[in-house]
Amino acid sequence: MAKTIMIVDDSASLRQVVGISLRSAGYDVLEGSDGADALKKLTGQKVHLIISDVNMPNMDGISMVKEIKKLPAYKFTPIVMLTTESADGKKAEGQAAGAKAWMLKPFNPPQLLAVVQKLVLP
Amino acid sequence: MHPEGVRFRIIEGHRRAEQSDANDQGFRTSAALSQVENLPMPTTTHAFPDSTPLLPRWQTTAFALAAGVTTVACGRGLSSAIAASAMLVAGAWLDRRRQGRDERARQASAAFVASTDRLGHDVLPVWAAHIENSRQQMETAVAALTQRFAGIVDRLDQTLRASGQGDDKGLSAAFAHSNDELRGVLDSLKDAMASNAAMHTEVQNLSRFVAELQQMAAEVADIAQQTNLLAINAAIEAAHAGVEGRGFAVLAQEVRKLSALSGATGQRMADKVGVIGEAIRVARDAAQASARREAASALASEGAINGVLDRFRGVTQAMEASTAELKQESAGIQVEIVEALVQLQFQDRVSQRMTHVRHNIERLPDLLSASRRSFDASGALAPVDAEALLGELEGSYAMADERATHAGGAPMAAPQAAAAPLEEVTFF
Repeated sequence: MAKTIMIVDDSASLRQVVGISLRSAGYDVLEGSDGADALKKLTGQKVHLIISDVNMPNMDGISMVKEIKKLPAYKFTPIVMLTTESADGKKAEGQAAGAKAWMLKPFNPPQLLAVVQKLVLP
Repeated sequence: MHPEGVRFRIIEGHRRAEQSDANDQGFRTSAALSQVENLPMPTTTHAFPDSTPLLPRWQTTAFALAAGVTTVACGRGLSSAIAASAMLVAGAWLDRRRQGRDERARQASAAFVASTDRLGHDVLPVWAAHIENSRQQMETAVAALTQRFAGIVDRLDQTLRASGQGDDKGLSAAFAHSNDELRGVLDSLKDAMASNAAMHTEVQNLSRFVAELQQMAAEVADIAQQTNLLAINAAIEAAHAGVEGRGFAVLAQEVRKLSALSGATGQRMADKVGVIGEAIRVARDAAQASARREAASALASEGAINGVLDRFRGVTQAMEASTAELKQESAGIQVEIVEALVQLQFQDRVSQRMTHVRHNIERLPDLLSASRRSFDASGALAPVDAEALLGELEGSYAMADERATHAGGAPMAAPQAAAAPLEEVTFF
């Protein structure tokens, strides 16, 4: 059964690029347009990995990670931050919130898939 | 610079803004604003002279005192009275002129502050709206473009999968199957020819039996003839014996009849064997002719089948070659499209930059309104805190190239995606 990955980004085009990369590798993809939207869509779903932007309207990525980590069903779900944000302070915030990896945009599909395969358990 | 100098330049900027036509009002106003921002930032607010009657009338008071001193000094003459009056009038005139100038300056300042407030409420929202609209249009267009590219990648993927099946398992398998089938037909033909050859050999063998049968028939006829001779001799001997030999003569007569019958039977056998032998010869000749025709037909069939298979192989190989080329080209196009999709991520970066600038622009109207409220309350010009605004803008940056642009360095090239997997990735 295909693993499900959620991509959270306020840029529709970036969600599509990530979605193409993941679907071509055989993953199912869910999309969220910001942190609040992602939290809403996670309810009742089984998601194996979350890839999220940091700077988003309504709820930013770091806050979303903190909220997700409070959910028993997603406490151990790996979260990758995919962002243009390169400041070390922000990375430290992401790590403290519970993110598993910090990846800079722009990304290459093979690079993204390597990270996904490393974090998604078979 | 002296505060008066600051005020003068502000008024001049505002006056030019008022003189401009309606079309470039915003530009002129922003020019006036930038002129203010380019000025050395005063550390305190600047109060304009108050128009209340007590303080500004020092010139009237000074001239009145001077007139009194002149009157006392010069006695009570008419000239001293005239001089004192003239000094009082001059003092009042100078006082009034100064008041008028201060009032005009205050009104100009109020108009300038009001115009910057309008700039904040009327012009800057339009700028921000243009930026946001452009950002949204770009995002919509890039999203649509990405969607199209995604569709092309999907279709190429499906085509590649379909051609992969047709190439490796379809065409080759079809050819191999057809080859096996047709070789089977050829083998069947060859088997049939072998059966015919075996039958021909059997017919040849029958010919040999016919000769034996003819020999046997000839032997039967010969035996009958010799038996007839024996019966004749027996009859002669019976005649010599007289009455005693009469019975033996009857026996000899019967043996002659039997030998005649045997001879006739042997002849009929020879005749039938001859007929059979002829039929067998005809059948053998027919079988030989049939075998020759079948051999020729089988040869022609084998040639035709080999020709068909060769052509089929040629078509299959050509199709395999074109399929392989198509696969290679399709894979290349896929790579190109994926690369294009990677490059389209510029939109995300540009969108973020535009959003940061828009948010900073949207902060300015409130600051200008606060400046106006401060002016209305105190009559003092309160400069917009550009440093704070710049600080807010800088604080909103997410990308290194944004910070480099802010610092005023040379424009940075947009960062490229990492070439190697897991490069530029931090695992916690």
